[in-house]
Amino acid sequence: MNAIEQWINETFSNVGVLSSIQVTFQMAVCSTAISALLGIPLGLLLEKHQFPGKRIVVRVNRTLMGVPPVVIGLLVYMLLMRRGPLGAFRWLFTIKGMVLAQTLIITPIICGMVYSYAVRTAPAIRNFAVTMGASPMQTNRLMLREMKNEIYFAILSGFGRSISEVGAVMLVGGNIKGNTRTMTTAISLLKSQGIFTEGVALGLILLLMAFLLQCLADFFRKEEISVEND
Amino acid sequence: MKMTDIEKRVGDFCLRIPELQLESGCIHGLIGGNGCGKTTLAKLMMGILTPDSGRIDREGLNEREITMTTQRPYLMHTSVYENLVYPLKLRGKKPREADVRPWLTRCGLWEKKDQYAGSLSGGERQKLSMIRAMIFKPKLIIVDETLSNLDPDSVELFEQWIREIQAQAAVTWVMISHQLSHICRMCDQIHFLSQGELAASGPARELLKNCGDERLKAFLERESLDLNVRGRKVD
Repeated sequence: MNAIEQWINETFSNVGVLSSIQVTFQMAVCSTAISALLGIPLGLLLEKHQFPGKRIVVRVNRTLMGVPPVVIGLLVYMLLMRRGPLGAFRWLFTIKGMVLAQTLIITPIICGMVYSYAVRTAPAIRNFAVTMGASPMQTNRLMLREMKNEIYFAILSGFGRSISEVGAVMLVGGNIKGNTRTMTTAISLLKSQGIFTEGVALGLILLLMAFLLQCLADFFRKEEISVEND
Repeated sequence: MKMTDIEKRVGDFCLRIPELQLESGCIHGLIGGNGCGKTTLAKLMMGILTPDSGRIDREGLNEREITMTTQRPYLMHTSVYENLVYPLKLRGKKPREADVRPWLTRCGLWEKKDQYAGSLSGGERQKLSMIRAMIFKPKLIIVDETLSNLDPDSVELFEQWIREIQAQAAVTWVMISHQLSHICRMCDQIHFLSQGELAASGPARELLKNCGDERLKAFLERESLDLNVRGRKVD
């Protein structure tokens, strides 16, 4: 393990690669989990309920899905700065602050994706549940089960967005080596130093992480895939 | 089930049912042209839609004792077997293979029990949907054009099956179909809808032989003519 660590540290100069991988993973997992907990129920509730101004809420969510992360980063920075409304938390230049920024970026993505899919499929599932005599709780369980592939895809998209994001984490995290430096901000630093080969290598590690995650997800879906292919 | 002064608006369409009594233990046929409100009425009976005004008296029928199958049935993203036992599981029953097997065997789906339900053909989907509706022994079954994609042998099989269930337990059936021959063979009561209104309602034989309603007469003539053109004659 030490040999690998030594090799990585020698290969990637001294930008703190191992800690940046750890920070990236920690930040992405936390922010995706929180966003999933918020975005999935919000997407389903938005589809299920009719209320005045629903169209505007959907449009705002779609706008937020495409908002430049650096804008969210700036907003969160202003919230977390010492004189900001959330300054007392002292989250600026910490992973917690980065998770907050990422959560604000990813939640609309997961919510929007779940909503778009639910609009197409939920009425049929709900009607089916009524014909089967399912209780409201059983109906909700059925909805989640029937939409699990799309929900999984939305979560994976959120995670992908999280590990690939630069602007917001740079602003809120400050790219502090060994503390808030992520793989993407490390790549950005390497580029500014003109060390392109190492930047590309770090990018490949990022890709590998995404690939491994995909393999892990496929492993859990294997049983279902085999049933579908019968 | 009794429906009184029902009005339901769906877009520009309006369904009006002053009074409709579904006698329990009978097989009811719901007929009418496209867009006359048959499915809307079925959804009101099922509780999928709620009427804008009027009253539906289920006469002691619990929501869990009513079911409905459609022309394009919803099948869960799982195996044929799991789809079939789903209503049993919802009711806290642990399905035993010995109990489930006869249902699948009789309609030729036993060999496909582990297959992904989405890979079934249109007719097989309808068969699965029919047995899924019957397996948990509901008291009212609404069949909305579910038998339309089946071959004549399969239609005959299900007609026989429905009669057997009818003989064992007084289940109320509401059959919605364009196949007049099927309706004539099966139904005790017929309810005819025309442009959102209940134009005629009564015992099948009586209504088909001596109907006073001009719209029903025209409908029957059209449908009979259509069947004769296709080489099948309605008695």
